[in-house]
Amino acid sequence: MEQLFINLGIGFGVALSIQNLLYCLLGVMLGTLIGVLPGIGPVATIAMLLPVTFTLSPISALIMLAGIYYGAQYGGSTTAILVNLPGESSSVVTCLDGYQMARQGRAGAALGMAAIGSFIAGTFSTAVIALFAPPLAEVALKFGPSEYFSLMVLGLVAAVVLAHGSLIKAIAMVILGLLLGLVGTDVNSGVARFNFGISELSDGIGFVSVAMGVFGFAEIIMNLEETGKSGAREVFVKKVGNLLPTLQDFKDCSGSIVRGTLLGSALGILPGGGALLASFAAYTLEKKVSWNSANFGKGAIQGVAAPESANNAGAQTSFIPLLTLGIPSNPVMALMIGAMMIQGIAPGPQVMTERPQLFWGMIASMWVGNLMLVVLNLPLIGMWIKLLTVPYRILYPAILLFCCVGVYSLQNSPFDVLQTALFGVVGYIFVKLECEPAPLILGFILGPLMEENLRRAMLLSRGNPMTFVERPISAAMLAIAAFLLLIIIAPTVRKTREEAFVED
Amino acid sequence: MQIKNGKDLWAGLMFMGIGLGFIIVSSNYPMGTAVRMGPSYFPTVLGGIQVALGAIIFFRAFVSKIHHTVDVFPFRWILVVAGGALGGVVYWAESWFTQMGKIGGLLMYGLNGLALFLFIAAFGPRPLFIILCSVVAFGYLLKPLGLVIATAVLIIVSAWGGHEFKLREVVILFVALAVFSVVTFIYGLQLPINIWPDLG
Repeated sequence: MEQLFINLGIGFGVALSIQNLLYCLLGVMLGTLIGVLPGIGPVATIAMLLPVTFTLSPISALIMLAGIYYGAQYGGSTTAILVNLPGESSSVVTCLDGYQMARQGRAGAALGMAAIGSFIAGTFSTAVIALFAPPLAEVALKFGPSEYFSLMVLGLVAAVVLAHGSLIKAIAMVILGLLLGLVGTDVNSGVARFNFGISELSDGIGFVSVAMGVFGFAEIIMNLEETGKSGAREVFVKKVGNLLPTLQDFKDCSGSIVRGTLLGSALGILPGGGALLASFAAYTLEKKVSWNSANFGKGAIQGVAAPESANNAGAQTSFIPLLTLGIPSNPVMALMIGAMMIQGIAPGPQVMTERPQLFWGMIASMWVGNLMLVVLNLPLIGMWIKLLTVPYRILYPAILLFCCVGVYSLQNSPFDVLQTALFGVVGYIFVKLECEPAPLILGFILGPLMEENLRRAMLLSRGNPMTFVERPISAAMLAIAAFLLLIIIAPTVRKTREEAFVED
Repeated sequence: MQIKNGKDLWAGLMFMGIGLGFIIVSSNYPMGTAVRMGPSYFPTVLGGIQVALGAIIFFRAFVSKIHHTVDVFPFRWILVVAGGALGGVVYWAESWFTQMGKIGGLLMYGLNGLALFLFIAAFGPRPLFIILCSVVAFGYLLKPLGLVIATAVLIIVSAWGGHEFKLREVVILFVALAVFSVVTFIYGLQLPINIWPDLG
C-alpha cells in the first residue's frame, strides 16, 4: 500500500509538470472536439496525430493520446444530449434519455450529470488501474511464449464474441487481420513476404494506413453516401441554462453512477471491451434495476448518468491490458501500442518496472485530465454547440487534409497515402458486407507477435503442440476462450446478444 | 438453390479469395517444420482457416434468414477489367517504357495511375472514388508541387465529391486551411514539406 502512494507520487510528479499538463490539456480538448463532432472518432484522430507524437517525449505523447480517448467520451455525450446524434458510438444510448431531457428543457442538468458521473467514474477507474495493474504485470512477467500465445488467442476470441453482428464473419476478420499483419519481412528468416515486389511493403503494411483508411476514410464516405448529412445539423438548444443538476437529481442518480462505474470498470478490462460495450451494458442494466425504469426513454436522468459513467470508466480501465500485458483490447489501444512502438518502447509487463515514470505518469495524468474536463468543459459548452452548427461539407475536407498530412509525414512517402486510400475502399466494402473492422485491427497488431510466440513455444516444446494445454496458465486461457465461443454459439445467449445490440 | 443473403455471398467469396491468395503466395517460401517454422508455415495455416470460414459464410448465403439483394454496392465490372488490362499491359511493356528514357518513365507512371483510378472507380458511390482520388493526388503532388497547391487539389476535388458544392465557400475553406496548415505543419511542427513548387 505504501508503495502504491510512492508510485502515485512519482506519477503525479510527472503528470503535473508544465509540459505534460499542456499536452494533457491539448489531448482532452482535442478529444472533446472530435467527441462533439459526429463523423470522426478517436481512432481516426489518434491515427492522425501519431506522426505528431514523433517529436514529443514518450510520456507526453502517451498522455496526449490517452487524453483524446477519454476526452472523446465527454464530448460524445454533449452531441447526444443536444442534437440526438451520438458524437461517439459509445454515446448512442445517451441519446435515448438525454435528448428527451433536453426537449423538456433540462439539457443543462443532463450535461452536468453526464460530466459529473464521468468524473466520478474516471476517478474510480484511475484507482482501479493503480491498484490492479502492478500485480497483473507481475504475473505477466512470468509468462512464457505458450502463455502469451494462448493469451492472444483469448484476447482475439473475446474481441470476436463482443463484436456486433455475425460471429463467423468476425472470426474471419480476425484471421484477415493476422494475415495482413504478416506482410513484410519475416524476422526469423529475413524473407520478405507478400510484398509483390513493392519495396515499401517490405517493412509491412503501415498500421496507421490500415486504421485511418478502414475507420477514418470509410466513415467519411459512408457519411457522404447517406444524403442529408452534409447539411447543417439542427441544434435543439441554443443556450443551455443552469448546468448544475439539482440536489434531487444527485440523490436520484447516485446509485446509477455507482453501478455504471463498477460495470464499466469491469467491462473495460475485458479484451474486446472498452467504452462502447460499457455504455450499452450499463444502460441495459439500469433499465432493469432502476426504480425509475418506467421513465426510461422519456427523459430519465438515470439513463444519462449510468451509461456516461460507464463509458468513461470503461475507456480508462481498457488501459490495464495494454499497460500490463501489452495486449490491445480495442482499436484505440492498438493505436496506443503503435505509438509506444514508434517511441521505441516494447509494450508489455516490463514497462512498469523499467519505466515507472511513464507508467505511473500516464495513470496520474488520467485523473488530472478528468479533472480538467469537468472544470473546463462545462463552461465551454456554448463553444461546442457553435461547432456543431458547422456543416459537414466544410468539416470533411479539413479532416481529409489532416489525415493526409499525418499519413504522409510518417515516412515522407506518397505510397503511405495511396495505401491509406486503398484501405478506404476496403473499409467501405467491409461496411457494406457487414464485416466489423475492429477485430481486423486487433488481429493486425497481434499477427507478428502471435507468430513469433507460436514459433518459440513450438521450438521449446520440440514441436509438441500439447505444450499449450500442459502448462496450466496457458490451458486455463484456452479453456476460457473455448468456453466463450461455446456460450456464444448456444442459442439462448445468441438471442440476448442480438437484442443487446439492436438499439445500435 | 436461391441466393438469399447477397452480403454473405460476397463476404464468403472475398474471404475465400483472400485465403487462397495467401496460400498460393506462401507456397513460394520455405515451409519448415512444426519445430522450426519457416516463413510460409503460419500464413498457410491461417489461409486454410480463412478459406474454410469463407466457404461457410458463402454457403450460409443460401440458407440465411436475413435477406439482402446481390447488388450490395455499386460495382462496375467493366472498369475492373479495363483497369486490370491497362495495368497488365503497362507491366508487360515495362522494358519498352524504360527504353524511352524520362518521358517513358513518366508515361508509365501516369498509365499505372490511370489503371489504379479505374480500379478505385469501379467500387461504390461517387464520393468514394472522387474523395479517394483527391487523397491519392494529394500524396503524389505534395513533394513536386508543395503544400499549398496540393491542398488546393485535395480540398476542391474532395468538396466537389460531396453533395453540395459552393465555390465561394470552398475557396474560403481552402485559404483558411492552407494558412493553418502552413503555420502548424511547416512552421510549428517543422515537417519537411515544401510550401511552394520545388523549381530547383
